[in-house]
Amino acid sequence: MNLSLGSRRLTVESRPVASRTVRFLAPTFSVALAFVIGALILLATGQDPVLAYTEMIRKGFLGRLAITGTLIIATPLIFTGLAAVVAFRMKVWNIGAEGQFILGAVASSGVGLWVGDQVGGPAGIVLMLVAGALAGALFAALAALPRAYLNTDEVISTLMLNFVALGIMNYLIFSSFSFWRDPGRATFPVGKFVEDVLLLPRMVGRLHVGLIIALAFTVIIWWALRYTKWGFEVMVTGDSPRAALYSGMRVDRKILSVLMVSGALAGLGGGIEVGGVLGNLDPRALSLGVGFTGIVVAALARLSPFGVIPVAILVASFSNAAPGLQVLGIPSEIVILLEGILFLCIVAGEWFLRNAIRVERMAGPAGAEAPAS
Amino acid sequence: MNESVLLLSLASAVVIGTPILLAGLGEMMTEHSGVMNLGIEGMLLGGGVVGFWMSTQQASLPLAMAVGAVVGALFALIHAYLAVTLRVNQIVSGLALVVTGTGFASFVGSLNDSALIYSRPVSKFEPVFGEAMRDLPLVGPLVLGHDWVVYMSWVLVAVAAFWLFRTRAGLAVRAVGEDPATADTVGISVGLTRYVYTMIGGAGAGMGGTYLMAGIFSTYQHGISAGLGWIAFALVIFAGWRPWRALVAAYVFGALRNLGFSLQIVGVDIPPDVLNVFPFFLTIVALMIISARPAAARRFSAPSALSVPYSRETR
Repeated sequence: MNLSLGSRRLTVESRPVASRTVRFLAPTFSVALAFVIGALILLATGQDPVLAYTEMIRKGFLGRLAITGTLIIATPLIFTGLAAVVAFRMKVWNIGAEGQFILGAVASSGVGLWVGDQVGGPAGIVLMLVAGALAGALFAALAALPRAYLNTDEVISTLMLNFVALGIMNYLIFSSFSFWRDPGRATFPVGKFVEDVLLLPRMVGRLHVGLIIALAFTVIIWWALRYTKWGFEVMVTGDSPRAALYSGMRVDRKILSVLMVSGALAGLGGGIEVGGVLGNLDPRALSLGVGFTGIVVAALARLSPFGVIPVAILVASFSNAAPGLQVLGIPSEIVILLEGILFLCIVAGEWFLRNAIRVERMAGPAGAEAPAS
Repeated sequence: MNESVLLLSLASAVVIGTPILLAGLGEMMTEHSGVMNLGIEGMLLGGGVVGFWMSTQQASLPLAMAVGAVVGALFALIHAYLAVTLRVNQIVSGLALVVTGTGFASFVGSLNDSALIYSRPVSKFEPVFGEAMRDLPLVGPLVLGHDWVVYMSWVLVAVAAFWLFRTRAGLAVRAVGEDPATADTVGISVGLTRYVYTMIGGAGAGMGGTYLMAGIFSTYQHGISAGLGWIAFALVIFAGWRPWRALVAAYVFGALRNLGFSLQIVGVDIPPDVLNVFPFFLTIVALMIISARPAAARRFSAPSALSVPYSRETR
């Protein structure tokens, strides 16, 4: 691709690996651009962008309450982000983290209500979280089995299953007197709360140990992808399914295992949200799109497990700052718009990692050009 | 009595099916050119909120619909730029568009102390035909009782079917969606085609959103679309990428959306949460049946190059 500008010529060429500088500059520039666009929107609607941004930093990061609040919101995003990283690394497009997260919450709240205070805190919590991960994995298998053996497109099946999961959760709380629903509250349906001993221990303020579990799984996923045979096969299959097949790897089983691991991570995230924050099955708090956001988070992290953490925290800080903006008279909904613009800008900025632009000086008029230097 | 309840709920299935059909038909055009846009929900809300705002500001309803379509197309332009020019992952770009469109609608709806939420359209979508015709048995409420948007959507289905499968231009689009490299060699501009059809998709979603807010509900509320954009996405697959099937399927999906209420009246109690799942469940089942049978897969499957970026240098 060429573009002539006066005596100079712009050449765009693809590059296999971007330099360290570009890898740092591209996203920085993208983030800055997103904030400039956001500022223009705020100005156009008569709001003060400086006030809005200072408040977002203050309520998102500064002070114990702000930072713990942000980390609590970031925790489920780390799980759904990791879920997307694992699947996308193999170019298996699991966009069903939303549903797997929800089913994880359904299963772990169900198990929590079922065990009550029979087995004590630690054992009960482990049971809940295992149930959440298992439910997520099995729900992902509903899309993984047809993908592996019928070649059913997993993009569509995992996407559709999200809404099946949402329907199941809403049915359990809003449309039936199920085991999950609090029978004492007939007019305004809510989920029954699990026993206090089953809630995840807290570290600082309301910040629960779910964050530590999320960080632990980040390390595990990084290690598994990098140092295990499974991880190696995931990478090879992702780069070239044919090469994987001809070298004797069982690609169908790999698809199954990757989708189920991905589902388990999302389901575990759902279980941790119940055990750490909600204490019950709360459809309103569990259908905010963490699964979908997790996919974008993973993409912005360039499918790096460790990259997921800072991106998740940045996105979470937006949500955490929203109520503070409302107090100042700035519509808190701006944070969702800003989040979307940020996503679009960073996704666009990735282009610079794959392509280089070179400016070449043309020696004379067209036809007599010589390459510069 | 029971018959009239059934008839009424079928008639309203047509009404609620219409935004699904408009958005789904648009997405179908987009996908025939090889671009998958998951951002329907965002374009529907983003285009719809501006169209609705127009309808509260003395604008005529056709103008409001047109503005909704233009704004929807502009949202789609973002996706086209990212997916076609920058060749980023279309799933990621589409989901980012959902967040952006939803955020845009919520932000616009919250300005000036949520003025828009308390606003109503200045005029209504009136039935096209006179009362004498609307009172005819059966065809009256089902076929003749609707406003112009419903009839426009039928025309659009016919136009889309004819355009895609009976004209040279339609053949070119499908060539771009099936095999862009070959289309390129015969002189069809892959990039331009994909831009245009991605924007047509956005226009459909924007019109659907405007009709939903200004026509069906006469109000804007946060999250008013309630997943309608996702149903439209399912519709394209369920209809096997064929416009006439989409017409039927949109009304089936529309019926499922408000069947719960009318069933309750006749004494059958199926919760709406269960009925809401059906469009997605049916789509999964259809998809699995189709993918399991190669003969069916050839006729009903997605365009071969769907969501695959095209680059002349690396073909």
